[in-house]
Amino acid sequence: MTVRILLVDDHPIVRQGLKTLLEGRDGWEVIGEASDGAEAVEKARYLNPDVMVLDVTMPRMNGLEACRLLRRQAPQLEILFVTQHDSPQMMREAMNAGARGYVVKSNAARDLLAAVEAVSQHRAFTALNGRDAAELH
Amino acid sequence: MKLRILLADDHEIVRRGLRSLLEKREGWEVCGEANDGREAIEKALELKPDVVIVDIGMPKLNGLDATRQLLELDPHFKVIVLTITDSDQVIREALDAGARGFVLKSDAARDLVAAVEALQNKRMFFTPRVNDLVLAGFLEKGQAVSRTEVPRLPTLTAREREITQLLAEGNSSKEVACLLNLSTKTVETHRSNIMRKLSFHSIRDLVVYAIKNNLIQIELPPPPPPKAPTGPAVA
Repeated sequence: MTVRILLVDDHPIVRQGLKTLLEGRDGWEVIGEASDGAEAVEKARYLNPDVMVLDVTMPRMNGLEACRLLRRQAPQLEILFVTQHDSPQMMREAMNAGARGYVVKSNAARDLLAAVEAVSQHRAFTALNGRDAAELH
Repeated sequence: MKLRILLADDHEIVRRGLRSLLEKREGWEVCGEANDGREAIEKALELKPDVVIVDIGMPKLNGLDATRQLLELDPHFKVIVLTITDSDQVIREALDAGARGFVLKSDAARDLVAAVEALQNKRMFFTPRVNDLVLAGFLEKGQAVSRTEVPRLPTLTAREREITQLLAEGNSSKEVACLLNLSTKTVETHRSNIMRKLSFHSIRDLVVYAIKNNLIQIELPPPPPPKAPTGPAVA
């Protein structure tokens, strides 16, 4: 069964890089993109993705706010944060907002595929710099 | 003959996005990638690309200093800087460093191809904001004059800037010495000189300076959500 992924980042270049990485996997499909949290919430409503790859710092509505809204609106959606913020505190906030995964952009090429695989199977996945990736059951 | 491009950005995801964008163009080839400013200089000297695209915010050696050093080694290189901010100061520094193109990262998908094309045709490429500043007399007879006057700080040497960045990134003097192939004593001497020149008393002052002067670029976390009211207001 195809894993349907919505990419959310305010930088089109980052979305392009994420897309290139993700679409190399059989059975994964990037079904749409959004450039801020408000657009992410709207697109999630009609595209019904399985996984949302979400940045934190974005204009109009940031990723944390979007995540909290989506937890109520689309409880079946799994959210994976891919962010510049290499901080345990930010990671805790993201997981408390309802995310299933959190990886740092500088290691996205290394961690993203494993992270999407885990969250698409409803398993948590977190990885900060200098710490091994943790898959939490 | 293919146009050869070197990409320098500390995020592999960004490099993938840039590569995907640029290699769609017939006749363009990404001949190499670098993860930091130091590697960018090594690879540029080795691969001799036609165009070098450097992110400003990179560890070990930021993009502006890498541009300066690269052009001192060989002024024929053509460099486009990528940045998350287009403040007056960043623009001035990019132009002073010798960049021939200036593109905002948020607009890279739209502007980068045009920027590379411009450099390929021996023209320069800057965002409209840069053009406005130039027209407003921002650069006058080699002197930078800003509308919002930036106070002149004592000038650090290239080596002092390198060391300032590495210290601000959290490296100890010993680690800096290792990275730059210097003795710890030499790094300590540079550190003292930097602190004295800039009248700093702590590493915190150094970090703030590095951020303000684009030696390191940071993305600020979003503000916390407003706290919900806990009870009825008491009259």
